[in-house]
Amino acid sequence: MLNPKRAWIRQLVALAILLALWEAAGRAGHLNPLYMPMPSSIWGALVELFSGSRIWIHMEATFTAALVGLALGIVVGIVLGVVAALVPVIAELLEPVMLLLNAVPRVILAPLFVIWLGIGLASKVALAFILVAVVIFFTVFTGIRQVDRRLVERIVTLGGDRSALLRHVYLPSVTAWVLGNLKVVVGFAFTGAVVGEFVAASRGLGYLLSFAQSTFNPALMMALVLLIMVVVLVIFGLASRLEKRLLRWN
Amino acid sequence: MRVRDLSLSYGGEPVLVGVSLQVGKGQYVSLVGPSGSGKSSLLRAVIGLHKPSAGRVEFECAPADVGILFQDDALLPWRTARDNVALGLGFRGMERGKALAEAEAWLARFGLSGLGDRYPSRLSGGQRKRVALAQVLALKPKFLLMDEPFASLDAIVRARISQELVELVERERISVLHVTHDLEEAIALSDTVHLLSQGPRARITQHYPVPIPRPRQLVRAHMHPAFAPLLERLWRDLSREVDTDSRAEAA
Repeated sequence: MLNPKRAWIRQLVALAILLALWEAAGRAGHLNPLYMPMPSSIWGALVELFSGSRIWIHMEATFTAALVGLALGIVVGIVLGVVAALVPVIAELLEPVMLLLNAVPRVILAPLFVIWLGIGLASKVALAFILVAVVIFFTVFTGIRQVDRRLVERIVTLGGDRSALLRHVYLPSVTAWVLGNLKVVVGFAFTGAVVGEFVAASRGLGYLLSFAQSTFNPALMMALVLLIMVVVLVIFGLASRLEKRLLRWN
Repeated sequence: MRVRDLSLSYGGEPVLVGVSLQVGKGQYVSLVGPSGSGKSSLLRAVIGLHKPSAGRVEFECAPADVGILFQDDALLPWRTARDNVALGLGFRGMERGKALAEAEAWLARFGLSGLGDRYPSRLSGGQRKRVALAQVLALKPKFLLMDEPFASLDAIVRARISQELVELVERERISVLHVTHDLEEAIALSDTVHLLSQGPRARITQHYPVPIPRPRQLVRAHMHPAFAPLLERLWRDLSREVDTDSRAEAA
């Protein structure tokens, strides 16, 4: 019988076998290293990336863009969502814009942001921001409209006023919805930052990626993809710890 | 509390017509009727959640002295049981430490000591209902309005919570208006039962005083000689209401 607790061992073994086969095929000359570099050369590229201090500059650029965009996107998304849910006129004006932004793949705005804001940090922040803000807006906007009426009545019949409603019902509800989407928007923030750098930049992981492409260096490219995956996974882990902590009542 | 000639419409449709009833100090009054007769609407009008089209509701106590308990009462899921009970006390301006101590005492009174730190998701249905009850009763209401508060509970839990409630109500001389479709529950708990006719255009057709003495043990109340005849009468009258309605429909 399969013990579900040992699943990770089987997964690890499968990965090791795959990598070994891949490496063996490469060494035997069955794979063209220009298209499919061996795991050992990808590892080599990764080690080389971290041997100098330059990688930290790029990491810092990407992290800054993603996290600033994430923070701004969450704050602006919440504010707009709350205002739209409470003021019908604002909802009328905002909803079509948001629907449009939601319908298109928002990364197509990257070249526009480069023209408006230059190739520096600002255009990457803007892209991460717009990716995050739209999701948060809809989460909060629909969430507030669907807030549990029974909770509202309960607070009112217990003698709570508007500020009590805000503090005990609306604020915790909004927090729960935002946290429920935290992983999604963290992923979006990094997508925004990396794609923005890929389009035009002088630093960042996305910039390194486009550099690897233009110099036809597949080992570096795969090393970078791996690095970005690990980085986002670590952030995911932090996000779900935060989620568990703040939603421990669930 | 007194309700005078209260009428209520819902989107132009008359739901209640000329309903009058009175609940004296320390009296337990139940309102029974077929489903859809507007029992809950009447209660919501009494609280002020519906605006009546005619008539008046008069309370002798302040709005702050009225406690309300609904069937689907929701506790704040993000607050512990203790915080939930302390909520209303906080709204009344009680200092937090004191409110929490008071809440703990109320939890203990309903057999929930040691569960104060639990979130509602970690409590059973009966425990949640007790927390909701403690939340309302901690405010020391002089008047209690209830709309099928125990409908979602299983029979044993329901009987136990009802007994706890009736003891408290008798001791503190709390006046109660209780809406239910459970005739036995209505008789066992009440001093007077009112029958609401089949809606729409429902009105109160009968009053039944319950001659069972207090303090009451609810299980024994069922065995009181007056219980069975009263239940039979109520049942007959209620069935007639429903029949009249279906005959009218057929016509």
